[in-house]
Amino acid sequence: MKPIHFQRAVWLALVLLLAIQSAPADDDTSASASASKSLLRVNSTNQVYEFFQPWIKKPPFSRRGIGALIDGGRILVTAELVANSTFIELEKPATAEKSTATVERIDYDCNLAVLRPADPAFLTGMQPLALNGPLKVGDEATILQLEPNGDIAQTLGRITSISVAGYPSESGSLLLLKLGAPIQQRDGSFTLPAVRDGRLIGMVMRYDARNQSADIVPTAVIRHFLAEVDSPTYQGFARLGVAFAPLRDPQLRRYIGLKEPGGIYVADITPRGSADAAGIKKGDVILAVDGLPLDQDGNYEDPDYGRILFSHLTNTIKHPGAVLPLKILRDGKTLEIPVTMQVANRDHAISETHLSDEAPKYVILGGLVFIELSRPYLKEWGSKWASTAPQRLVYYDAFQNELPADRGRIIILSQVLPTPDTIGYEDLENIVVTKVNGQPIKSLADLSEAAKKPVDGFHKIEFEEDPKLLFLDANSIQSNADELKKHYSLPALERL
Amino acid sequence: MSRFPLIALAFLCSVAALNAVEISKSLVRIEATSQEPNYKTPWSPGDVSSGVGAGFVVDGKRIMTNAHVVSNARFLTVSKEGDPNPYLAKVLHIAHDCDLALLSVENPSFFKGTAPLEFGGIPDIESVVSAYGYPVGGTRLSVTRGIVSRIDFQPYSHSGMDSHLAIQIDAAINPGNSGGPVMQNSKVVGVAFQGYSGDVAQNVGYMIPTPVIQRFLKDVQDGHYDHYVDLALTYRNLFNPASRRALGLEDETTGVQVCSVYSGGAADGNLKPGDVILKIEGHTVSSDGTIPLENEAVPLDEVVERKFKGDKVEIEILRKGKPMSVTVQLKEPWPFKLQSNLYDEKPRFVVAGGLVFQPVDQNFMDAHDPSDQRLNYIFDYFIADQLHTNRPEIVVLSNILPDPVNAYAEEFRYSVVDEVNGRRIKSIEDIASAFDEQADCYVIKFAGGGRPLVLERKAIEEARPRIRERYDVTAEKNLKK
Repeated sequence: MKPIHFQRAVWLALVLLLAIQSAPADDDTSASASASKSLLRVNSTNQVYEFFQPWIKKPPFSRRGIGALIDGGRILVTAELVANSTFIELEKPATAEKSTATVERIDYDCNLAVLRPADPAFLTGMQPLALNGPLKVGDEATILQLEPNGDIAQTLGRITSISVAGYPSESGSLLLLKLGAPIQQRDGSFTLPAVRDGRLIGMVMRYDARNQSADIVPTAVIRHFLAEVDSPTYQGFARLGVAFAPLRDPQLRRYIGLKEPGGIYVADITPRGSADAAGIKKGDVILAVDGLPLDQDGNYEDPDYGRILFSHLTNTIKHPGAVLPLKILRDGKTLEIPVTMQVANRDHAISETHLSDEAPKYVILGGLVFIELSRPYLKEWGSKWASTAPQRLVYYDAFQNELPADRGRIIILSQVLPTPDTIGYEDLENIVVTKVNGQPIKSLADLSEAAKKPVDGFHKIEFEEDPKLLFLDANSIQSNADELKKHYSLPALERL
Repeated sequence: MSRFPLIALAFLCSVAALNAVEISKSLVRIEATSQEPNYKTPWSPGDVSSGVGAGFVVDGKRIMTNAHVVSNARFLTVSKEGDPNPYLAKVLHIAHDCDLALLSVENPSFFKGTAPLEFGGIPDIESVVSAYGYPVGGTRLSVTRGIVSRIDFQPYSHSGMDSHLAIQIDAAINPGNSGGPVMQNSKVVGVAFQGYSGDVAQNVGYMIPTPVIQRFLKDVQDGHYDHYVDLALTYRNLFNPASRRALGLEDETTGVQVCSVYSGGAADGNLKPGDVILKIEGHTVSSDGTIPLENEAVPLDEVVERKFKGDKVEIEILRKGKPMSVTVQLKEPWPFKLQSNLYDEKPRFVVAGGLVFQPVDQNFMDAHDPSDQRLNYIFDYFIADQLHTNRPEIVVLSNILPDPVNAYAEEFRYSVVDEVNGRRIKSIEDIASAFDEQADCYVIKFAGGGRPLVLERKAIEEARPRIRERYDVTAEKNLKK
């Protein structure tokens, strides 16, 4: 009995091995054949502004990735690849034929961009990649890279998780796939397409080499982005504008009088966001969104992805302008409140979380440099900026929702370029301006305007903290303006 | 004392050694056993450690030393040269804000054969001084000699918050030197108190000069020590011609601009931001805020430094171009203490349902080093943004002793407590009385207005013996400093 048993086991094992080896082999050839006609190297030269001295740019650097040709003669890449780009070049993998390209649309919220070659004929003979449908955890997918000779390198992996997670712009969370795959370090891998059965499943935007895990922008997000690109006016991704706390604690559930099993607690509301405009309040419990009940962690049952966070529904499945009924528990009563989904209005931000492709604003008055508070400014303090940057500014940025809605932008005296007009002020830096010549300051434009109306020949500048106030000689700084520009090689004394 | 890493002993000087025979009648070696409370387990009595410092006999059968030598002391002994016997001592007065203390000895025979030292003035720059003490733990007297390098305001590291006049000398001050006299012409011209580690600067030592010492001795004449007093304002140079003219200063006149005047402080109501301080107690203030005093240019604060609680200061100012004279009655600036190192105090706390509540001060921040952005802002800007006017004490949920009652509380660690059952929390006492009140449940609201934390009374009661036993919580509250 024993030997027979042994033989059977070996035979079974062999068959299994064969099956595993043969299946991807078929897949590889077909994927390779079709994908090679859809991939382009994308070389982007990017240049970022120096936020401490906003009139200059930092040295240019280049990012190289792989774009996927999609319908309409467009190349899909991640937004980060071409962020602050000054020059974009497309290159065919096999022939190294090149063409310049421009950004047709970029959205940092979803970390996607579509590029278009300067010469549409450049794409002749290429084939667009079709988008794949939803995947499940455990599904296989292949990450595509390019060898120096133009051959495609493929790495097979498995989807390990599908969840709503933070995107690099820090403006919010969207659906994210994680693919476990041991990809090699290759030149030009800043952005990589991932495919299954020759169809695009998403764009790799981050790779964690230690855990061999790739973060992928999935087709659900890509489809939303492309639909917005194709619509007459691009709006992007709407936000509900609430911060919530899970309602797992039974003591809290009893205190609220919550009898239903799920629900989440509205802990914070973005002023003038979708929820705020609809009348949702702090302390409300959201029981259901668009008729779909939420569990204690805010998940709903998605037909494609199973239990995921409701914001996939509100931000990605729905487009701006959609009206969603929210089932709310407030003071023991159940209400239904319709919410019109809106895109976050940048003008309402007190401190912007992300700024790319635009020159930071500034005003220089007699040598005093004024800027707007933003997270990119704070990030100039380095990777530990949250503890090393001035804590008042970090606090204003982190808790801007709690400031009065009409607070406006936070204008900072960021540094002093010493001139005869600024004697005694050289040490001032990073202090928040409240008034200039008696006018409250809520933007750099306000400051620029107020600086046109000196009082008794002086500019009076008031601050939240010490020195509380200082004066500049209005006539003197006017007559020294050209000298200041020349001396510090400033292109202009303000950029609004 | 441990804050000054050991560096090599400076040279021993034979000339100074001659004086050493005299000084040995006055020099005292202090052994202190101290117990430093642990702000992470505030109910525990804390770790016991011991150290050695120096002191010297002064008038009235007292021994002068540094506050940091005898801080948190549980057991003190003193011994003198030529008599190895330890004598029991205790702290008579201690001033953490200027790092000075006076000790008494239980057995009066200790002072037999000793000679109290007398105090001199401020030594001249470049003049030679000798420092006496027991550096690096030895039992025999050691002398180092150096010259006076600089006389200036310096931060006093013991409290971490106070700055007073200090004299820099180029003799090394090492642990064990602390509290020892620095002599010139047989008189005490300073008390050695702090140095630098070798990384920053070498052969740099600091001593507390006699104006600070005299002030301390005068302050304790009434039997107890009051804190230093302060104007509770900030000021800034007035070099800028535009600011000078706009504030009404004429060409030859000098002064400084008042920036912040802290509410509840001494100058509150008398001085305003934008005032120009022209003179203080008759001394003309220069554009950088210094005044001439005893042939030295010292910060105008020195006038206030030498005064006491309740004393008055005459200040001449320019307000909107008009000269005025104001009188400020000095008092102790209480909110500043929050940001200084505290000693001889027990941590205050309340434990309820395994939640540990503590008031935030420098000791708390040092022990916990929280990375909570809101708490860091509130603590850092407590004085500058006058947050103390709404919240005299910052009370946080500092720790969670895990138990089913608080299974969902972890997200609130280091959150600042605003309310318990509708009661505004302005001090740790408020927390204690809120939990003393009978209620079915306790609804805790935190700064920032997220979700409340709800603990049911029944659950707290059930958890109480479990938590006490499991975490060895020997007391559920302490409200006394």
